[in-house]
Amino acid sequence: MRFEAHGLRSGYGSVPVLHGVSFCVAQGEIVALVGRNGAGKTTLVRTMIGLLRATGGQLRLGGADITRVPPSRRVRAGLRAAFQERSLFSQFSVGDNLRLSGHPPAEHGRVLGMFGESLAGREAQRAGTLSGGEQKMLAAASALASTASILLMDEPTEGLQPSNVGLLGDALALARQQGRGVLLVEQHLALALRLADRFVVLEKGEIVDTGTAGEAGLGDRLSGRLAL
Amino acid sequence: MDALTLELLNGLSLFATLAIVALGLGIVFGLMGIINLAHGEFVMIGAYVAYVTHANGLSHWLSLPLAAVVLFVLGACIEVGLIRRIHRRPEVTILATFGLSICLRQAVELIFTKDFRGVPNPVPGATRALGVLFPTYRYVLIGIAVVVVVVTLLAFTRSRFGLTVRAIVADRDLADACGVRTGIANFCAFGIGAATAGIAGALVAPLGAIEPQAGLAYLPGAFLVVIVGGFNRLWGVIAGALVVAAVQTGVIHFYDAVWAQIASLALAVLMLQLRRVPVEAANP
Ligand SMILES: Nc1ncnc2c1ncn2[C@@H]1O[C@H](COP(=O)(O)OP(=O)(O)O)[C@@H](O)[C@H]1O
Ligand SMILES: [Mg+2]
Repeated sequence: MRFEAHGLRSGYGSVPVLHGVSFCVAQGEIVALVGRNGAGKTTLVRTMIGLLRATGGQLRLGGADITRVPPSRRVRAGLRAAFQERSLFSQFSVGDNLRLSGHPPAEHGRVLGMFGESLAGREAQRAGTLSGGEQKMLAAASALASTASILLMDEPTEGLQPSNVGLLGDALALARQQGRGVLLVEQHLALALRLADRFVVLEKGEIVDTGTAGEAGLGDRLSGRLAL
Repeated sequence: MDALTLELLNGLSLFATLAIVALGLGIVFGLMGIINLAHGEFVMIGAYVAYVTHANGLSHWLSLPLAAVVLFVLGACIEVGLIRRIHRRPEVTILATFGLSICLRQAVELIFTKDFRGVPNPVPGATRALGVLFPTYRYVLIGIAVVVVVVTLLAFTRSRFGLTVRAIVADRDLADACGVRTGIANFCAFGIGAATAGIAGALVAPLGAIEPQAGLAYLPGAFLVVIVGGFNRLWGVIAGALVVAAVQTGVIHFYDAVWAQIASLALAVLMLQLRRVPVEAANP
């Protein structure tokens, strides 16, 4: 299954943010989406999952046009997102959050164990009372533990301690190994360079550069793009 | 002392009626962000179900479940045929449900004419309790209304369906992105909202005239309850009905019904000032 965006446009009300974005994520690859704050990365993720309406262009999942399909059907078709913000129901328990994401109680132990001991046994705690990093891990674990074939991860390492960044990297690599496709929005180039197969640079709602892992001078080029 | 007891019972009866009439309005607004101006017509149609039940020689009590079923089906059809197509646009839903309320009134008028209909009181007479005589049917009404409201709210808060629905209230986008079928939840929520209105209509049928315009009388009070109770909290319906019933009963006791209406309006304005975030909070 392949996820494709063709000339995707989107924005908020009358304010356009994405001005025709085209790229794709195939199964078995990690595509890093990098760009400065406000470049439109989150907007792109929210448009891909269907929370923002595409004002132009097309989205295709496994060949089928899903541009006008509601989010819940995209999810059932194999797409899954872990959002940068508001990624959990903060008033609900950790267990209820997992149930809502489609994980039956029998699976909760496995999902919560994905990041070592940090989340283990926290099912009854209210999600909003987890620390920022723990919330990110829970959202990431919930997406990774799903059966989705394409994962959209919006800055999953934000606020994570280095050891957990490592665990997350391993989990993403495993997802790729399982033949899933990952769009990884990432500010930390080191992790992106370590993991990703391909790179897409977004600037002011347009793709201004792309690259492939192992390309000569890629790291310098990307950090140049992200610098002021 | 007895006068006060009587006022309390009147207040309680008003509370129960307000709560069950507003329940569906609150559910539909809280869960779907829809201001349903046809809600009063659902209540009116529930009363007509009671009338038809009576006209066919059946027991009044049978009309309560019958009204629930009829209105669930009607509500579900309206959700699929109308609301679903427009529900992301609040201003359009207001116009559409306003139009719908006119259509429903006209349809009822075509079938039943404008004539006033009535249903005899299934438990006539009064019961002496706490030192005062109070109509027995009103005790029954209070009991049934409270049970319906509490059971409905428990269903929405305790079951798996309830969890889904509460997730939609808390964050519709996130629920959508979790793969929750917000469409089916909307369908059920609208149907259940209409069903409770139907029960309310059948329940109040023996207390007044049944006619096509009857629903109009219920809408302002129900809105007031939802506004006072809060937009995004289902249990707010109970709190809202308590406050509105207390204010109305109190003002009627010390002044008169006109001042009670004025006080209600002032309360609505005050609560709207305090709450600020009505429509977009429920429906981004
Ligand atoms: N809800 C919103 N309403 C209006 N503008 C928004 C909203 N969210 C984001 N934006 C604007 O869209 C642009 C892109 O934001 P975003 O996609 O969040 O960037 P990134 O995730 O790359 O940091 C920014 O200029 C931001 O101000
Ligand atoms: Mg972002």
